[in-house]
Amino acid sequence: MLSLKMLLRNWRGGELGLILWALVLAVAVVTSVSLLAERIERALTNESSSFLASDLVVQSSKITNADWLLEAQSKKVSTAQMLSFSSMVFNGDDMHLASIKAVEPSYPLRGFVKLSTTPFTNDESLIEEVDYGPPKGEVWVDARLLPLLNIELGDQIELGDISLKVSQILVEEPDSGGSYSFFGARVLMNYADIPSAGIIQPGSRVTYRYLMAAGVDAQKEFSEYIVWLKPQLDIHDRLITPDQAQASIADTMDKGRRFLLLAGSIGVVLAGIALALASHHFASGQTKQVALFKSWGISAHRVRNMYFQQSLWMGLGGSLAGLVIGFLFHLLLLFIVSDWLPIALPAAGPRPWITGLATGLICLAGFTLPALWHLPAQSPLVVLRQDAVLKPLSSAVRVVLGVGAIAGLLLWYSNNLYLSLAILAGFGVTALASILAGLFLLRLGKQYGQRLGSIWRLALANLWRRKAQSLIQMVGFSGAIALLMIMVVVRTSLIDEWRFQLAEDAPNHFLVNVASYELDGVKQLVNDQELDTAGWYAMVRGRMTAINGKLITESQKDSHESFRRELNLSWTSELPEGNKVTQGEWWDSSAVTNLATADDPEGQIIAPLSIEDELAGELGLTLGDRVTFSLGGLSFEAQVTSARSLNWDNMTPNFYFLFPEGLLEDYPRTSMTSVYIPPQKKLLVNDLLRNYPTVQVIELDKIIERIRTIVSQITRGLEVMTLLILGCGVLVMFAAVSLSMTERLQESAILRTLGSSRRLILGIQLIEFSALGAMAGLLASAGAEFSVAMLQRFMFDLPFSLHSWLWYTGPSVGGVLVGGLGVAYSRKAVVQPPLEVLRSL
Amino acid sequence: MIEVRNVSKQVVTTEGTLRILDQINLSVADGETIAIVGPSGSGKSTLLGILAGLDLPSEGTVSLNGKNITEMDEEGRAAVRAKDVGFVFQSFHLLPGLTALENVALPLELNGDVKALETARYYLERVGLDHRTTHYPRQLSGGEQQRVAVARAFACRPTILFADEPTGNLDTGTGQIINDLLFDLNREEGTTLVLVTHEMNLAARCNRTLQLHAGREASAENAIEMVR
Repeated sequence: MLSLKMLLRNWRGGELGLILWALVLAVAVVTSVSLLAERIERALTNESSSFLASDLVVQSSKITNADWLLEAQSKKVSTAQMLSFSSMVFNGDDMHLASIKAVEPSYPLRGFVKLSTTPFTNDESLIEEVDYGPPKGEVWVDARLLPLLNIELGDQIELGDISLKVSQILVEEPDSGGSYSFFGARVLMNYADIPSAGIIQPGSRVTYRYLMAAGVDAQKEFSEYIVWLKPQLDIHDRLITPDQAQASIADTMDKGRRFLLLAGSIGVVLAGIALALASHHFASGQTKQVALFKSWGISAHRVRNMYFQQSLWMGLGGSLAGLVIGFLFHLLLLFIVSDWLPIALPAAGPRPWITGLATGLICLAGFTLPALWHLPAQSPLVVLRQDAVLKPLSSAVRVVLGVGAIAGLLLWYSNNLYLSLAILAGFGVTALASILAGLFLLRLGKQYGQRLGSIWRLALANLWRRKAQSLIQMVGFSGAIALLMIMVVVRTSLIDEWRFQLAEDAPNHFLVNVASYELDGVKQLVNDQELDTAGWYAMVRGRMTAINGKLITESQKDSHESFRRELNLSWTSELPEGNKVTQGEWWDSSAVTNLATADDPEGQIIAPLSIEDELAGELGLTLGDRVTFSLGGLSFEAQVTSARSLNWDNMTPNFYFLFPEGLLEDYPRTSMTSVYIPPQKKLLVNDLLRNYPTVQVIELDKIIERIRTIVSQITRGLEVMTLLILGCGVLVMFAAVSLSMTERLQESAILRTLGSSRRLILGIQLIEFSALGAMAGLLASAGAEFSVAMLQRFMFDLPFSLHSWLWYTGPSVGGVLVGGLGVAYSRKAVVQPPLEVLRSL
Repeated sequence: MIEVRNVSKQVVTTEGTLRILDQINLSVADGETIAIVGPSGSGKSTLLGILAGLDLPSEGTVSLNGKNITEMDEEGRAAVRAKDVGFVFQSFHLLPGLTALENVALPLELNGDVKALETARYYLERVGLDHRTTHYPRQLSGGEQQRVAVARAFACRPTILFADEPTGNLDTGTGQIINDLLFDLNREEGTTLVLVTHEMNLAARCNRTLQLHAGREASAENAIEMVR
């Protein structure tokens, strides 16, 4: 317990403050981020599952195999069968082509069905959440079916051979976003009513869905079941995961998670730097103490044990305090974002706690122990002769150990090689640049300082005189500033990217299949409601029949549905907004004339074709391939000249296949657009469908609302995390400033004794620290730019861009922040009498 | 009892080998007081370090209480220091984060003495600082700090006390008080005292003086050689 007593005395003496704070902060940052990330991750996974109303789905064109159900029962896997199709529903003479969904009572396995007895309401108090489907003999319907069929709640509607009671308004189904294909009002019915309705006949276009989920205690059995199930799936079956169910939401959540990881990782690195600097400072203060101990006959072995035990106590104490603070901080974060969290977060597992504790111990092993390593070997002769001081463990070894610890932590923590490499590379570039360019800048400062006033001359000469220390400080400052800038840049890029999704008036409905003769009328209806569309796009429907002269084979048809079905083909002279050519070249419309068309196969030029790059990969199409299309019985050939990436987040029409103008215009075409329809104008959908029954309306409003909620949560979380990491950055700067403080205070006290004014002393400190901070800021800008380029390229899939603001923000923020901290720290030298300052050192 | 036989110390510098001590022989009986005097650079502190087992000679042997410490490894010498040796330094070497009482008690605690605080309090009382036990070094004058250091040295009850310029950082008056204290305690505790000083008044209070000059013992036989 002596080591504990000594630790407490060291703490009381103020020598451990920085180390302990750095340690506590490292653990707190990692713990809070891990707790938050894991809880949000679990919540989002649940939320994602709710998009499927289950954990996994098999979608098929045939009824679920009875063996699958039996096996699921034996494995404690919950299941629900569901089928959907379009069918007419009637009330007397009123009829509507509704989108019918029949579900078993166990539906939904995840999430809730929202019901109300008040049509078209958004009032949460009038909406009820249930975790079951409609009972036999009843249907729950979309509110807009009521005016379409002139019915009220409690009335009966006819479906096939049976009559069903409309008992509830269906406000939301958890898996409503899972399919964009329905366009009629939704009718949710009981699966058991299907046989008596007599509406499903062999050959009917029905989509079957087999929903599966398992509780926490049956995850192993669930995995075994999926392994058993997969080989039994054939080409008619498709396994759908939560991420696939909602690609755009999954992408948003994934980027949010990655940012949290990035912020947490930066926090770990910053706290590691602070710990390294603080440990270096602490170790240099312990040299005399160790020599004294050894002069008293304490063996090197005991000294090593004492410091090891003290480090262990400190590691455990600091880590425990960090865990508590991290837990409290994560509660604070949750409290701040509580308004944006519509869901109760599940509890976290043990991993965040283990990660937090391990961070403390690994940081200690990587930064503090190497700094203390040489102490036991210190000669006791130091008590008599200062020149007998043993040099610490070589800087190279300490850097290797520190970087090793950080790299290990980053990898373990983020489980992401690119992220770890980007941060390490960014910090490495900054540190290396700090050492090389730092020397140059310090020398430049000294040289030009000679021409300036006395304060400048003294301050800049001091920096050069203490160049070893100045360089260490510069590495600390520039590392901290660079990491903070990386975080701010990535955060800003992400929020910019999401800005569209956050926009209140982002398009939330697609109107498709608008025939040419209907176009003016539909436009008029939309305009009457004073709604803005994303522009009207024409398209024709056609099939691929051959590639490079070879007919599409049956196996190709089985491999991808695009070979089986009609495709939407459109034309344009300009590359649509949000599209990016990834291979080949976009056509020059003036050069594309006299095309070989279906009507004029003798045309001189084969039509160019631009295809979406992911689909091209799936279909095995490459630049130069000649694809034959069939439109209304006529054929024409086109050659793939470019591949494009599309932006699916902007909710505007996108086309997989694009052709130049002058090729498709004469074929029967339809038009499409996307439009924002606010909730109070939702009845426009009814008017559209009543007046133009063949127009398809794809309703994305509920999905967009979900995306918006998630983006808001993540954005708010990012802001709070940024603040926490800023705290880490300031701690690093504090640790770096304190490195040279003993020497500076001593010099300042001597200068004061010799009659120097406060102004001169504070002026010297201000210039020294501001110059150091500005130089570090400049170098940090280079490191941040490099890191951000790597992160944008490899982690966030964002376009590369230079950030000019970094280059002036870095030096100015560095100068002001470091200068301010330095002067605040040095005030003691001018506030207290010089003798008191000298005695306290 | 201290026995020094043919002790020499050489160090290699960039300008060649430098001989700091040359063939020193010395015997100090139990309870005897001896002053090592000489001008700056004569090797006084180096000899003190070797005698106390803090450093090793290049040649020769040193025995403390019959134990040849030059044949021991660092761990062995540490054990001898723990049992037999105490120090008083010119710059006090008090730990700034510890109170006067804790500074005195620390070496006792490190050696497992369960009554460390009690003993420390007793010795602080003996050096007249019983009213300053809770003060930190920065709150004490130079003379008071050295009194704490003296109390710390005697609290371990060493058989041999090494003092390196114990009054070198103090004014004459304060230095006199410390010297009195050192010799009084030494007499009462029966300790062997080896002190390094360049003050002849202080040296005169010792039973014997070893005068060093350029690393060699000054004597009638080598006086002419030394002044050349």
